[in-house]
Amino acid sequence: MKTKRHSLEKNEQKMALWLLLPSFVILFTIAFYPLGSVFSKSFTNERFASSQKTEFVGMQNYQKLLSLKITKLEAVSQDSNGTIIYEDPIDILPREPFRYKEISQFNIFSNHYVFSATDPAFIVSVKDTLTFTLLSVALETILGMAVALIMIKNFPGRGGMRVAMLVPWAIPTAVSSRMWEWMFASTRVGVFNVMGQWFGITNGQFPWLADPSTQVWAMIAIDVWKTTPFMALLIMAGLQTIPKGIYEAATIDGCNGWKQFTKMTLPMVKDTLVVALIFRTLDALRVFDLFQIVFAQKRYSMASYSYYQLIDNKLMGYSSATSVVIFLIIFLFIILYTKISGGVTDE
Amino acid sequence: MIKFKKFLVLFITLLTAISFSTFAGGQDEMASASTEDAKQTITVAAGAVGMEFTLAEEAAKTYMESHPGVEINVLQTPDLTTDRLGLYLQFFQSKSSEVDLYQIDVIWPGDIAEHLVDLNQYGAKEFTDAHFEAIIQNNTVDGKLVAMPWFTDAGLLYFRTDLLAKYGYNAPPQTWDELKIMATKVMNGERAAGNQDFWGFVFQGNSYEGLTCDAIEWVASNDGGSIVEPDGTISINNANAAQALDRAASWVGTIAPDGVTAFGEEDARNMFQAGNALFMRNWPYAYSLGNGDGSVIKGKFDVSPLPSGKNGMRGASLGGWQLAVSKYSKNPELAADVLFYFTGYEQQKKRAIVGSYNPTIESLYDDAEVLAAVPFFGSLKAVFLTTVARPSTVTAPRYAQVSKVFFDNVHKVLMGESTGAKAVRNIELDISDIIE
Repeated sequence: MKTKRHSLEKNEQKMALWLLLPSFVILFTIAFYPLGSVFSKSFTNERFASSQKTEFVGMQNYQKLLSLKITKLEAVSQDSNGTIIYEDPIDILPREPFRYKEISQFNIFSNHYVFSATDPAFIVSVKDTLTFTLLSVALETILGMAVALIMIKNFPGRGGMRVAMLVPWAIPTAVSSRMWEWMFASTRVGVFNVMGQWFGITNGQFPWLADPSTQVWAMIAIDVWKTTPFMALLIMAGLQTIPKGIYEAATIDGCNGWKQFTKMTLPMVKDTLVVALIFRTLDALRVFDLFQIVFAQKRYSMASYSYYQLIDNKLMGYSSATSVVIFLIIFLFIILYTKISGGVTDE
Repeated sequence: MIKFKKFLVLFITLLTAISFSTFAGGQDEMASASTEDAKQTITVAAGAVGMEFTLAEEAAKTYMESHPGVEINVLQTPDLTTDRLGLYLQFFQSKSSEVDLYQIDVIWPGDIAEHLVDLNQYGAKEFTDAHFEAIIQNNTVDGKLVAMPWFTDAGLLYFRTDLLAKYGYNAPPQTWDELKIMATKVMNGERAAGNQDFWGFVFQGNSYEGLTCDAIEWVASNDGGSIVEPDGTISINNANAAQALDRAASWVGTIAPDGVTAFGEEDARNMFQAGNALFMRNWPYAYSLGNGDGSVIKGKFDVSPLPSGKNGMRGASLGGWQLAVSKYSKNPELAADVLFYFTGYEQQKKRAIVGSYNPTIESLYDDAEVLAAVPFFGSLKAVFLTTVARPSTVTAPRYAQVSKVFFDNVHKVLMGESTGAKAVRNIELDISDIIE
């Protein structure tokens, strides 16, 4: 009896393995195989669409991608206004095995430093993507929450408003990016330059998309405009699960609007909010289309930099290393969020 | 665990088996290509900007009429140059025989030469002499002619004939300094007359490949070389080049709008075509658009070669597209024949008359029928004889990086963040890192 049951169990187990096999094969071919291939390519100097022999180069790609250095600059002279002139970083930064190039200069305690990297474009793209992600997701969450709180209320024309609210999100990025590019035009063709001139901020000629100080802000503006509706939609779904009765009870008990929001609405919508945040953060970290369409090779997001290295420079190995670094950064965020959301569900 | 290992081994064996069989299959296909098929098919990957696609289809039709055994498919490819390159690279990476003829940009021959056949093997010699030498030179990689010029482009100076006459000038500027003087005078006059949006000179100042084209003209016309010379020496770090860049920076905010640092071709054209600029640097395509119905400058402008800087040097960036035969084509001989027909005299003449595409065959610029249809081609011949090619063939396969270093640094000079001397030094160092 016992042995029979044992064999039955074994049969079932076998059966289960066979049933799992297809999904394992699919997972292997669409996830692990490409991922592993990118990983192994990142240690080579492979070129895309080339017959050049591929060689193993160890950590060289990563070394070039990630080397950073902070060097102190000595004062050389002083000009007539008393401004100290420092030595040119080009002369003192190391050139072997890869040349360090200046990213920025700064002062700490009257000492002058230069921050440099062997691949400044990538380091800047990481910084830009992180700034973009943090600011755009934060703004989208706050605005999305506000929009959702309004949209959940009963008012005439609510249905129409809800549809209108979704329009920016429904427009393909390729189209909306072009639209915004126009608004940011560097002459009085662009609405921002016209407005800037009215208020006396610009002379009607400001190159919003070419000036390094405004480039990332322009990207954030486009993304917030485009994705706030999505955030609002997700939060609204969360708000709808909260029973209306408890608000009536709270009002009777003398609990005011702000307190209702912080003590009732926020805790109850928190789970939804965390999910929405994960969605948006991961999406923003791998932003590609916006940067590629508006900036092309002016300034990169992490993903568009990887694309540039692969397609324009045909550096398959180097581009793979870039992808691995992006993967690790995103992975870090996932762990962070899993910790946070785990905390939520345990409560 | 053992099972898993077995499975892994099985999987890898399977994978290798598949890849080997496709490899062998590819060779089989090569072998069978020589045997006569009922109808041979040639696929052309062509552009679809403006009238390109229609013209290519018509050319295919006329070829098929005279060669009943051949079928030509014209494939549409993305408009954006980088997207098109991305698509081609995927075909090349998989050694695909799907496409026989590729329409390639003037900066690609060096990059993708290893995927293209040497057209000299198929008798290109009898055609090449008629074409502009600079382009043939550009398309020759290690002695192999990898692509045949199809149509070309070069930087031109557009100027407003009515305004020059109004302010007492009877000819376009011959030097960059003259251009600045004329632009300042006309700009001040027009602004005093009430047009606050009027500027002297517009060009492509955004940080992209277009700026490389503009800046190499400034440098070459100032006797500053062409960044990297055909023999491989990096020539950019010289006083003439630095001076050329500083001069360009002095235009920004004076005769050119501050916003020019974000201008592409179309931004410049929009401004010029709206009647708000005296001079414009642009490609030939802007000519027919500027003379279109509804253009306020219709009949009020003309083109000339770009001004010179030092020693009477002139430079016009070379642009344009070529046709090339893929190495993975099943029938390269027939493909080459189609290519010579497409890029030949008759077809180029037709494209010039119907679509105002600039021929690469010199004698077509003296052809009465062509000149009747597009009169301004007459003044272009001089420009095409002074073209300067971007250093794409000599720096291949790293031209994209070289160009980015160049336009990034030039853009910094235009933005006032760097100086010409600093920039050319940076460019030299960076390029020497790239091409080793």
